[in-house]
Amino acid sequence: MARYTLLEALRTRFPVLVLVAVAVLLLASFFVESIAVTEGARFQAAFYAASMRLAGVFVAGLYVLVSIAREFNDKGFDILLALDLPRAHYVLGKLAGFLALAVLIAAVASLPLVWFAPLGAVVQWAVSLALELAIVVTLALFCMLTFSQLVPAASFVLAFYLLARSITAIRLMGTHPLAGADSLSHQVISGTVEALALVMPAFDTWTQTAWLVDQPAAWASLLHIGWQSIVYVLLLTAAAMFDLYRKNF
Amino acid sequence: MKRGEERSIGQVPKPVRVLLAAALVLQIGWQALQPKPIARAEALSAPPTAATLGTLAFGEPIAFAALLTLHLQAFDNQPGISIPFAQLDYGRVGEWLDAILRLDPVSQYPLLMAAQLYGQIPDPTKQRQMCELVRRQFEQDPNRRWRWLAHCAIMAKHRLRDTRLALAYAEAIARSATQAPTWARQMRIFVLENMGEAEAAAILLGGLLVSGEVTDPQEIHFLTERLKQLKGADKSSRPSEK
Repeated sequence: MARYTLLEALRTRFPVLVLVAVAVLLLASFFVESIAVTEGARFQAAFYAASMRLAGVFVAGLYVLVSIAREFNDKGFDILLALDLPRAHYVLGKLAGFLALAVLIAAVASLPLVWFAPLGAVVQWAVSLALELAIVVTLALFCMLTFSQLVPAASFVLAFYLLARSITAIRLMGTHPLAGADSLSHQVISGTVEALALVMPAFDTWTQTAWLVDQPAAWASLLHIGWQSIVYVLLLTAAAMFDLYRKNF
Repeated sequence: MKRGEERSIGQVPKPVRVLLAAALVLQIGWQALQPKPIARAEALSAPPTAATLGTLAFGEPIAFAALLTLHLQAFDNQPGISIPFAQLDYGRVGEWLDAILRLDPVSQYPLLMAAQLYGQIPDPTKQRQMCELVRRQFEQDPNRRWRWLAHCAIMAKHRLRDTRLALAYAEAIARSATQAPTWARQMRIFVLENMGEAEAAAILLGGLLVSGEVTDPQEIHFLTERLKQLKGADKSSRPSEK
């Protein structure tokens, strides 16, 4: 299943799309470098890293959503269900293929950074991006299996990602409000935000551009990210399997 | 894919249910053990160059300038922390205001922020910095920006107690802002009077009345009375020639 998922990606020209994104953003980063009066290399690395991170999340997430939607529409999923194959195997097989894609995207995306930043920092950035993409692809798989429709699934993935990038700032605003800390509405909102923070990763500390242009991350923080990724991928996988087992076709 | 009735939870294999519960407990436990985020004030960085900002505006400089203005305005309210204006780096604040005005020269908002927001803190050095910015920007478009310099002239006179600076601003308005209302262009007369330069004020006021710039009868009456007072004050202040 994982092999076919990768094969599907190859045949739908997904690698070409990733390479085009890398090339376009690399060219744009040279443009940014050329118009910067000072710290051109810093500007270039920061622009490429930040935009490539977003582009990676976008293409990886969208690819998973469209791939599963295609299986639903082409009745490929129905054929798989008719086979003597546990539903959990379907989820795990697809996920293995998508996770491999996430690692490949992170590797390709980080390759140009070798010329702009120290190797150690680039490796940290690439590992963190791979882990971030792993969560995004697993989330996209879970959403598509749960919602069965492209638009709600894509909206959920987008909203989740934006919230995960800003959850720390929202928590700070809730914990240290400038006014109205005692009001009931504030207590309710603050409690909701804290509850949300318990069940989602805080992406703002992941794949940071600062590692490339300022100073590399501490390896301990990367371990922290790795552990969080494993736990979250496990949670989403279990949720996807749980939902798929409960569906009647 | 058609959506049918959902199966019962019992139909889900036990290992899947256990995995889901364990992963959920792990996730919540892990996050609960993490230290709470700490609010840290972020220093205001230098704005990008004009060329970079122009490119980043993607052909919408006015909208982008508005966005940057709001970003700067909200900088004192960072997540979880409030920074007093006095702690901001006013050199940087000035650079940002200049950059925003380059993107949208017609906007009055950055000058309002300089004169009425950042210029209101009780720090004479920073007040002067903001007034200097307003003065510099005034020179580029006097007829549109005179009101902020007029505000700075009043600020210089009453807060900074620097009547020479107030006079310099008032004279700049009278000289360059040809479309400013007469009260703004007459400001230098009253500053001069305040400085004890009654004779110079009287000459300027007389010249203004003769020039025919003032057409409102009530205003002409008021200014004529003022001129008489100034001349009276000037005579009484001179030593007797007998």
